[in-house]
Amino acid sequence: MAQNDQALLMRLKDSGLEFVVIGGLCVVYHGVPVATFDLDICCPFGEENVRKIESAVKDLNPVHRLTANKLPLEETRSSFKDLKNIYLQTDLGKLDCLGEVAGLGSYEQVLQQSILHSMSFGKFRMLNLDALIAAKAAAGRPKDLDAVRLLQAVKERKEQQKDLF
Amino acid sequence: MIDEETLAQMNGKYVCPPDAGPAWRAAMEYGFDMSLIEASLKLTPEQRLAEHQQAIDFMIELQESGKAHGAK
Repeated sequence: MAQNDQALLMRLKDSGLEFVVIGGLCVVYHGVPVATFDLDICCPFGEENVRKIESAVKDLNPVHRLTANKLPLEETRSSFKDLKNIYLQTDLGKLDCLGEVAGLGSYEQVLQQSILHSMSFGKFRMLNLDALIAAKAAAGRPKDLDAVRLLQAVKERKEQQKDLF
Repeated sequence: MIDEETLAQMNGKYVCPPDAGPAWRAAMEYGFDMSLIEASLKLTPEQRLAEHQQAIDFMIELQESGKAHGAK
């Protein structure tokens, strides 16, 4: 099963969805090389936004990956207005969309703690380092706390060496 | 002639940067390989994401290969 985060990010951007990249990919972005097998984003919810998510992945056989029968996304349109998170499996990999982030709050609060970064494949919002540390600390699983230790070391190093990003 | 310190480094001894702060040293003492973090910090964020993608592609390929050969 593939996991192509760049392609998923570009599709989400093209859909017009507002979002901030959170989770493991953001940890990698800030300089800690962990292996992460899903793309986590935080975005506003509501029917219109879920439709944007659907439009981004509709040709990728998206299913709700945590449902027992792996319900196809398109068969659940009547519930779009009630969703607060979506956990999808697609042909380009796992895509988890969260309406809020533990330790940070709602999408609006997450947005305020993000940075816009320009890459060769587009401009994307990533959680800033302090917010990422707070989110990982709030998540509290052993792997998150390991990430916190390393992110704190990275933060300290970046404060010492201003040329590091 | 290779001195003892160089030999130790060749065998995997990590040399902590002399100006490393307490968080860096704590992570090192906790057991993390901080040489990987140093290497990552030398890259741009986009290069880090590209390296990650390559690693993930390779791991998925290994996993699929393992499944194809009956690995549990």
